[in-house]
Amino acid sequence: MHELLLFASVPTHQHAELLQQLAGLTAMQPRHCFERRLIFKAYRKPGVANARVGASQDLQSGDLQRVNKMLNGGMFYTQVVGPVQSTDFADAGVTDAAANANPNPVNPDPDTDTKMDGMDSESSIPRSAYDFDQQSWQLEFRDIPEAGTRSAVTSRVMATAALPRGDIVPSMNAWGYSFVTEYLVEGDMFIHNDIVLNLHRVLHYPTTPGEENQPRHQMPTLQQMAPLEKSGSYVLQASMMVQDGSNQETMKTASQHLFGLREQLKSAVRLEMADRLSLDTRVK
Amino acid sequence: MADSFTLPLRPNLEKSDRPDTLPVEIAQINEQWGGFRDVNEEVLLAKLAEEEERGGPLDSDEDGDKKEMDTTERREELYKRRAEITQFAMASHMETMFALDFISLLLSKHAPRQAETSMSAFLKQVAPVGSLNSEVVHPPPKPDSVNKDISTVSRGWRIQNFNSAANKLLGAASRLEKEVEAETKYWNSVLAIKDKGWKVCRLPRERQSLGVQYGFMEATPVFRDRGLASLRRGNDGSLVLDQGLVPSGSRFVRVRVKRGSRITGCTKPPGASSNDAESIEQRILQARDSVFEDELFHELVREARAIASCGVTTRQNLIQIPAADDLEILLDLVDTNDESVHTEQESSQDDVVLANGVAHSIRILLSFAHRQNLHRRTQVPLPLTPKRRPNPEYHLLRPALAYLQHISEARYLESFVHDIVTTLRSSGFQVPEFTAQMFSNWNLPHHHSSPNALEGLVASSLKPIESVFQGNLLTPNSVFTVRMRTNMSFPPFGTHYDVSFDLPSVPDLKSPGNLSLREEVEAAVAHLLLLDVVMKISSVEADEEKKTEPDTPAKRWWDPIYPHMGELLLAYDHPEKHKKLRIVLSRDQLSLETYLVRCIDGIGIGAAEGRSQHTETKTWKLQQSPGGLNQQSSAMDFVTAEAST
Amino acid sequence: MATLTNDQIKVLEQSRQRLAQLTRSLGSLIASLNQSDPLPPWSSLQSQASIISNNLISVSEQLSDHRDLLSTLVAYPGPEYPGRTQANTLEQLLRTKLDPRVEDWVERGRIAGTEKPPPDTFAIANPSLAATAAQKQLTEADLAELWEWAPIEANEEARRRNWGGNFTLEEREAGIQNVVTGLRKQLEDDEEEDDEEEEEEEEDEGEEEMEIVGVHRKSGGNGVEFDIAPHHAHPVQPVVPLSDILRYMTTGRMS
Repeated sequence: MHELLLFASVPTHQHAELLQQLAGLTAMQPRHCFERRLIFKAYRKPGVANARVGASQDLQSGDLQRVNKMLNGGMFYTQVVGPVQSTDFADAGVTDAAANANPNPVNPDPDTDTKMDGMDSESSIPRSAYDFDQQSWQLEFRDIPEAGTRSAVTSRVMATAALPRGDIVPSMNAWGYSFVTEYLVEGDMFIHNDIVLNLHRVLHYPTTPGEENQPRHQMPTLQQMAPLEKSGSYVLQASMMVQDGSNQETMKTASQHLFGLREQLKSAVRLEMADRLSLDTRVK
Repeated sequence: MADSFTLPLRPNLEKSDRPDTLPVEIAQINEQWGGFRDVNEEVLLAKLAEEEERGGPLDSDEDGDKKEMDTTERREELYKRRAEITQFAMASHMETMFALDFISLLLSKHAPRQAETSMSAFLKQVAPVGSLNSEVVHPPPKPDSVNKDISTVSRGWRIQNFNSAANKLLGAASRLEKEVEAETKYWNSVLAIKDKGWKVCRLPRERQSLGVQYGFMEATPVFRDRGLASLRRGNDGSLVLDQGLVPSGSRFVRVRVKRGSRITGCTKPPGASSNDAESIEQRILQARDSVFEDELFHELVREARAIASCGVTTRQNLIQIPAADDLEILLDLVDTNDESVHTEQESSQDDVVLANGVAHSIRILLSFAHRQNLHRRTQVPLPLTPKRRPNPEYHLLRPALAYLQHISEARYLESFVHDIVTTLRSSGFQVPEFTAQMFSNWNLPHHHSSPNALEGLVASSLKPIESVFQGNLLTPNSVFTVRMRTNMSFPPFGTHYDVSFDLPSVPDLKSPGNLSLREEVEAAVAHLLLLDVVMKISSVEADEEKKTEPDTPAKRWWDPIYPHMGELLLAYDHPEKHKKLRIVLSRDQLSLETYLVRCIDGIGIGAAEGRSQHTETKTWKLQQSPGGLNQQSSAMDFVTAEAST
Repeated sequence: MATLTNDQIKVLEQSRQRLAQLTRSLGSLIASLNQSDPLPPWSSLQSQASIISNNLISVSEQLSDHRDLLSTLVAYPGPEYPGRTQANTLEQLLRTKLDPRVEDWVERGRIAGTEKPPPDTFAIANPSLAATAAQKQLTEADLAELWEWAPIEANEEARRRNWGGNFTLEEREAGIQNVVTGLRKQLEDDEEEDDEEEEEEEEDEGEEEMEIVGVHRKSGGNGVEFDIAPHHAHPVQPVVPLSDILRYMTTGRMS
């Protein structure tokens, strides 16, 4: 499968307005999404990975084949993406300490909460009903964008496959991939005919000692998340998938659809192809 | 003369400054109206209205022609004026050039370099630099008369220019006032529309105009794009809804019910909900309804063609659906205001209800299809492939069709079972009541409020419809069940029956399985009941034996020798005197016939049985009156009597 | 008889410059008329007309201010002038007789200046004509006084009004927060700004003349178009370039 993309940087002051414009363009309400994205990096030469590991038995055999093919092609960075709900984030103010101090969650005393926060703000981690073991994951493999394409659109080979729920690190290790880091993508999604529009930004987790080397099992509050881009800007990504990238006709149609969108949005944002090397997934 | 000068921007205005046109007009008005005193706005308006009435449509036609003439004329006028302006400008240019040449040549004696820059090429050619001398002289002072003349001319022009400026300003002011008034009116109307909740937006292809969106975002593109009309401003500021090329007027999809050759039910056009039929709101509503009805009919035709195999025919502007038996549904798109549409037919209340039901269901289903479209198009799309995605027809007619067919089949089956049971009862068999569960798979949700529940409700009407008939039989622990399903949405189409039963007395009986003809079901049910009757008759003796004198020698009793043929045998010691009982059960008749068979063991059948001429026959016919047994003896009495002779 | 002094030459030079300006602006009007079909945009026509008008005024002023000099100055061809071959041109240059069209124009002014007041019917049909009729009866001195008074008064009247901005005076008095605009976007009440501008202009104009009232049209003239470009009070440009964000999203590292 191929993916064709255009990107635009959206300054924070333009965000609300662009949301409205996109809602108008696509005639749909924005769909707010949160995605956990785990970055993994290949650490051994391809071809030696053994896919038959741990939790992989609950994978469809087709997915398994695809995973093997994806992971054994070369040395790549790859992403494991898991959707989360806004309810998966911890409630602001309800911390471990507060929850312990107030075992009756039905009638929490707001005063205690704030006091506890004030007293213990450094070490207390808010909790939520988030269940890491039930977190679903999808492996998203992206190749480096094709070089020297004359069309002004980013085009790359892509593949996705479902992964087992819960802790994915052992499986990924067995496939020869080690965990690098993780971040959260927060934003809104729109659908415009065949094009998926994502207006999103990267959020960093608050740094907690001991959690940098593996995906976190708890979710902090949203308020504790800090944007990677400090000014709070967003990225608009317009993407389109093509089943058969070798079919020139379909690829052309897809680019034309993207250019049509670029034209429609040109008074609001400038959609452009990305710098190829910024999307380089190869491990060097 | 030097300190005031206005340049006439509109040369034609000078004309009106000439003193001759106005007196002429005044004279005309005096002649026609007898002075200005009696002429006021009201009188003039009344006069205009009167003329309009008298003139009728002819006048307006003329007006149209005039307008058209005006545009070409105005164009010509415009070019004429343009030529005038150009000419005027060129003449002025020439004059100033002469003046400039003169002063430049004059100066060239003193400051040749500067002066030369403003000399025309021609002058440079013919006159050497500094070839014009100048001196200051002291001429005699000008006579007073000359000075006075100059000041008269100056004053004259000044007065005229003040007048013309004042007129222009007043004209502009009143034009502006009118314009402000019109704009205010227009924007108030636009705001009123917006306040009613309509979506007001810029037109995509005409960015400077406003439009109102009343259509359906999820409709087929051609109808979706029709859902937008521009809000134009009339000259007086009134709001004009401009739907472009779309025919105006309102249409609706009419549903008629036809039985045989008679129209027995018909839907009425939606009445105007407000008496203020010409209000802009009303016109928007009408436009919205029309685009919906147009789309509805378009989709109905598309679907009708797809289900032509079910006997649906489409002709120009008419869809004919054979629904069930002699029932036909007719759909067409007609003008709401067409009087001929309202011709009263000999209608039955039920069929009017039916027609309205169909009319509502197709509209609800179109709205449902719109919602489905919204769901579909806001999902993450599938990867692009060279194949074009199919655009399946909506299910608008098929659910209604399925319902009509199902209810017709179910009623038929119900009446059949009812009749045959009644027939049996009239012969004295105590057949238990059967139950009919119509539309057993329709579960109405308890909460109708959430959109999901509503959509679920509508979605369930797209599923096959199921009804179940169930009854106990005469022999103990025996039941029959007929489960019927009607499905028009996906193959296999039509109504299918699943006849199942539990008949312990006939152990090896196989289920007839899935049936698709009502005659087959009829036969299966009748056969089942026949078997049940046979078994019932044969089992009576055994029961009685147990109760009464157990020590008496076994009485002879009917043995179900060929239950599937409805035949029982009363064996006799004498080989040629076996007696046969033959039962025939149909919907409206049960007949019992006894006769002697001459074949040796009595097990022969058909021609081989060696039937004697002597027969006893007893027949019970279907009685619709609930009177039960009519003097006649019961079937059991008959067989008992026959067994003992 | 005397040759020209330097001051006199200066006057002539000024006249030459002003005439040159007038000639140029007329030339450009002709050019723009020729280049457009049917007409140039009204705003450009109007601004050209007003430029020409101003040029004319300045020429006219020059002639009037220096009428003493100009009416005593005579021009005659010097010996260098090829009088025999270019007599026509000379005649054209030294012509003092008015062009017939101008003569006609003068005549019309003369008639208007000496005309008797029109009949009363005029007054009913058109109030401004009625005013004219009244003026006609004024003495020359009265007229002069009226005309002295009127421009100043009109100018002051005009200055009492705000000729720009999004709200009317009434709306502002009733409080602009109550105005139903039907717009999502917040209209700015640019009264303050306008006032300042106006004052500035007032000063500028005051130095020159009080004649043309309220001609401070916004530059560009065609203020009809909507301002589509979003207007943000505090635009914040992203600090991290898009490519760095994408790189981070891909590899978890910024570089």
